[in-house]
Amino acid sequence: MSTLLAVDNLSVAYRRDGRAIRAVDGVDLTLPAGVMLGLVGESGCGKSTLARALMGVLPGNARIAGGSIRLAGEDLLAMAPAARRARLWRDISFVPQTAMNALDPVYRLRDQMREVLTERGGLPRAAADRRAEELFGAVGLDPRRLEDFPHQFSGGMRQRATIAMALALSPKLIIADEPVTALDVIVQRQVLDTLRALGRDLGLSAIIVTHDISVVAYLCSLTAVMYAGRIVEYGPTAALTRAPAHPYTMGLMNASPDLDRAVETLVAIDGAPPDLSRPPRGCRFAPRCRFALPACRESEPAAVAVGDQHRSACLRAGEAPALRAAAGRARTEAAP
Amino acid sequence: MTPLIQSFGLRKSFPLSRSLPQMLRGERPTLMAVDGIDLTIQRGDSVGLVGESGSGKTTVGRLLLRLTPLSGGQLTYAGEHIDRMGPARLRGFRRQAQLVFQNPFDAVNPRFTIRRIVAEPLINLGVPRREHGERVAESLRLVGLAEPQRYLDSLPHQLSGGELQRVVLARALVIGPEFLVADEPVSMLDVSVRAGILNLMRELKQRLALTSFTISHDLTLVRYVCGRTLVMYLGRIVEEGPTEELILRPAHPYTRALVAAVPRPHVEQPRERLPISGAIGSGSDPPSGCRLRARCPYAFARCAQEEPRLVPVAPGHLSACHLHSA
Repeated sequence: MSTLLAVDNLSVAYRRDGRAIRAVDGVDLTLPAGVMLGLVGESGCGKSTLARALMGVLPGNARIAGGSIRLAGEDLLAMAPAARRARLWRDISFVPQTAMNALDPVYRLRDQMREVLTERGGLPRAAADRRAEELFGAVGLDPRRLEDFPHQFSGGMRQRATIAMALALSPKLIIADEPVTALDVIVQRQVLDTLRALGRDLGLSAIIVTHDISVVAYLCSLTAVMYAGRIVEYGPTAALTRAPAHPYTMGLMNASPDLDRAVETLVAIDGAPPDLSRPPRGCRFAPRCRFALPACRESEPAAVAVGDQHRSACLRAGEAPALRAAAGRARTEAAP
Repeated sequence: MTPLIQSFGLRKSFPLSRSLPQMLRGERPTLMAVDGIDLTIQRGDSVGLVGESGSGKTTVGRLLLRLTPLSGGQLTYAGEHIDRMGPARLRGFRRQAQLVFQNPFDAVNPRFTIRRIVAEPLINLGVPRREHGERVAESLRLVGLAEPQRYLDSLPHQLSGGELQRVVLARALVIGPEFLVADEPVSMLDVSVRAGILNLMRELKQRLALTSFTISHDLTLVRYVCGRTLVMYLGRIVEEGPTEELILRPAHPYTRALVAAVPRPHVEQPRERLPISGAIGSGSDPPSGCRLRARCPYAFARCAQEEPRLVPVAPGHLSACHLHSA
């Protein structure tokens, strides 16, 4: 499979109150073409900043502090910002958490689709309208609803319309930031199924940014787990959820309720993520990790292979099976 | 024994804004947020109410605490009509019944110290000042903030989301209530923190012999804290039963869809098409008969003519669907 996206040692720094905060710090990430990758992490881990950096739409107080982003072999950071912006929608398009942020309330959906397709896509009007109808059909919306205004749509329909718009110019990559978080569970499932069908039928390449590892398990064949600005684990979703190799991923799994399993006491992760203006020495998860050794607080662990395409940035990755067994038990029991 | 909470045909409607033709015709359109709910909560019960946004679940919680007047039906607390309580009795009621809010950051005054926040109910109910210090500290210890001194003089923004949710819980418990209504108590928290709060709620329920009513859109949450669960759709209860039974053997097509729709944290999860299509409509103009019928693949003629009633499908397990009697 050819590599679509290659992120190498990427760092993004914010300036706040005179201090630099590295929200993304030395991230490596690979996405083969035709694959959906779940980028999972909790609030403040840097996942949204990483998504914005990939699209080239960082806020004014943030800058790329190092590294490279290659899309289909092309170095995106070497391009002028204006040139990059001109290619948004065509190279990389975006599905935000709340569709209302992407849709203009005063225009009919047809006009909004037409604008993307004619002005950015260069299609003649009639062809644009045909394409809009096709796109609505692809995301499970009745093409007649193109005549509606966004407020006439339910939340789920709006999110589908945003997905249709993101697909409009057949971009190489779609980035969706918490695309189903604001939706009720039944509608959430319908939108996930739409995305899954697009992945299957169109070979869509996408990064799904989410706090919910269950959404990733439902939809994505690859997973990257982010903590405090770094990717701590990366691998095929099946391997990563069955045999997580980083204690943070183990913690996420043990804290996530599973309707298919008997009710057991969930295991919380004690403590809170570090202040990124003063990250701890060594592994950033070490202060919350039950298995941390003195060496973990000395130097930041590099990602090591724990399986096929499966990497964990943990000093004790080789002991993962023993750590997994202990991680599922309540904290009162001794750690190995 | 008299149940702690009992309701018959509980109703709540809200007036909707009128269009000019409606005004001319003298119509007063209303939204029936809660449309005839029978509810029994015994002392020590932990009951969950699950539904999508717009189902009316939050309104039920507000009715139970008399935060909003009821539009119809009956509602009693320990045998006493909630809507007939006088000011003195209401004061007592406010001690007995407390609410835990959804978003801890919205639920507290950002300029108050944690000490002041937790003491709020004590101040409102005129508890002597000299008792405040000890009761606040005790309540903070109860919710797992082991060293209260570390928190007392802090401001909300200095705490993590999980710590602040514990503070909100401590405030609800400081007055020693017997009944707790929790509206989406963990939906704003990260998963690693949420697990700790759910475990705490389970533990407190047992230790304090609390009666609780937990409102959520999330079946996985009620599973951790509620012995019995009700499923609400457009103002009506469509199914109720022991929580575990409801999840393992959902009887109503809507509940079946809710259970199937929750994503699981593993890849071998069910991915079949959901039986329910579309989205929840508005309560302002509910369809005739069963309110779910337009979204239900099993709907037949009777579903349009007659609203299904809750009927037993197993001991203690009720469902309102014509399929059960077809």
